[in-house]
Amino acid sequence: MSAFEEFDQERRAIDTLLEQGYQVIRIAEDLDGARVTFTHGGPGQSPVELLLLTADARKHVTTVVFAGRKPAAPIETVI
Amino acid sequence: MADLSIDLAGIKSPNPFWLASAPPTNTGYQVQRAFEAGWGGAVWKTLGEPVINTSSRFAAVHFNGQRVAGFNNIELITDRPLEVNLKEIYETKKRFPNHAIIASLMVEPKQEKWHEIVKRVEAVGVDGLELNFGCPHGMAERGMGAASGQQPDLVQAQTTWVKEVATTPVIVKLTPNITDITVVARHAVKGGADAISLINTINSLAGVDIHSWNTIPNVGGQGAHGGYCGPAVKPIALSMVAECARDRGVGVPISGIGGISTWQDVVEFMLMGSTGIQVCTAVMHHGFRIVEEMIDGLNNYLDDKGLASVTELIGKSVPKYSNWGDLDLNYKVVARINEDNCINCNKCHIACEDASHQCIDMLTNSDGKAILQVREEDCVGCNLCSIVCPADGAIDMVALDSGVAPMTWNQRNQVISGLNGSYSEAEVV
Repeated sequence: MSAFEEFDQERRAIDTLLEQGYQVIRIAEDLDGARVTFTHGGPGQSPVELLLLTADARKHVTTVVFAGRKPAAPIETVI
Repeated sequence: MADLSIDLAGIKSPNPFWLASAPPTNTGYQVQRAFEAGWGGAVWKTLGEPVINTSSRFAAVHFNGQRVAGFNNIELITDRPLEVNLKEIYETKKRFPNHAIIASLMVEPKQEKWHEIVKRVEAVGVDGLELNFGCPHGMAERGMGAASGQQPDLVQAQTTWVKEVATTPVIVKLTPNITDITVVARHAVKGGADAISLINTINSLAGVDIHSWNTIPNVGGQGAHGGYCGPAVKPIALSMVAECARDRGVGVPISGIGGISTWQDVVEFMLMGSTGIQVCTAVMHHGFRIVEEMIDGLNNYLDDKGLASVTELIGKSVPKYSNWGDLDLNYKVVARINEDNCINCNKCHIACEDASHQCIDMLTNSDGKAILQVREEDCVGCNLCSIVCPADGAIDMVALDSGVAPMTWNQRNQVISGLNGSYSEAEVV
């Protein structure tokens, strides 16, 4: 499987959960990748965890959260 | 025609091209010939207590047919008495009053030593002083040069001593043989430096003769480390100039040095914050007259850009030089192969297959012709294929509009921290 296909599988898993109304509430990164916890506001819905392996998927999930936020204050360049 | 004149911390020069303190500025004869050729300034070969040099002093690294890709020397400061040099400086300044003559100085780190040499040198009419805290060999073993330049407190103290008596602008020349050059630059400024110059040469051993097992160069079979310069060091020098230029704690004009050989190199150093530049190795390789082409090239470039003065270049690229953590992770470029220009050497395929991300396929088109094609979705935009490609115009790196908002590593970490309620990783700077 190509690198893109690996990413695409993980991206579809993320996007499917988001389309179902899940929200990202936690991202824990370690040596094995990123464990992303999703929750749903609906009754009886349990949290779902995805282990993301590809760099592009780990980037994608944070981009989605970042884009959903209000613009943050500019980050001062540390020199 | 644009105005090429510069004013570096009060030192005026008809153009930004100065000779660096080195063998080409050893005598009045040489400096006067350099000024006749068109150089705007010269930093006189370092003055101090006259040394004794070795025989066999230089070595070069030639790479794949290019002579002098890098240059190594174990020569020290001037071996001539101070008074002889001062007489020639006086005569040269008298003959070329509008050219910049800067005296490079190196003495023991003692206040009275600095006071004495500064007073004697300024008395003959130099336009400025450059404190040599960078020479990596010979003098460093005696507590001078890089040995001083690697101790920020000593740089500050010696600069202060010089400023106590100096009446002309003081440039502090920095050694690259240190972890963070901005630390020393800031200490030079704290000591009162009016400007900094960088880089001096890099610790080096040019090579080992695999037949005699002697070092290159060697003095009767014995070698010692020297200072490396020339085109090979330019990226290192440019990076250090950029780091100083964007450091708010430095904030003084920069005289850029390090592998500058062409007018294009000059433009790069000025865009990255240099007010003027210094050249040595290119002159040792090609002679003083290379400045003619540098002047013409710079003039034409400025005219093409519609710039009236070379000073309009200074620092224009500094805001574009940032920290890795502030780069946009969502920016994407991919390689595209132009079949019309591709010579099917397969170097891009080999490089991608062996050293990158295996995304260039060897295919056959409908005409039965062998072609190379990039799978853009798998391409990470590393540039390796375009770097190794020998055919001009065969590979373009093309920016894609992903439609995704920019996000840096630091912003990403903020997102994760916000979610998790604590910092996940240290900010990358």
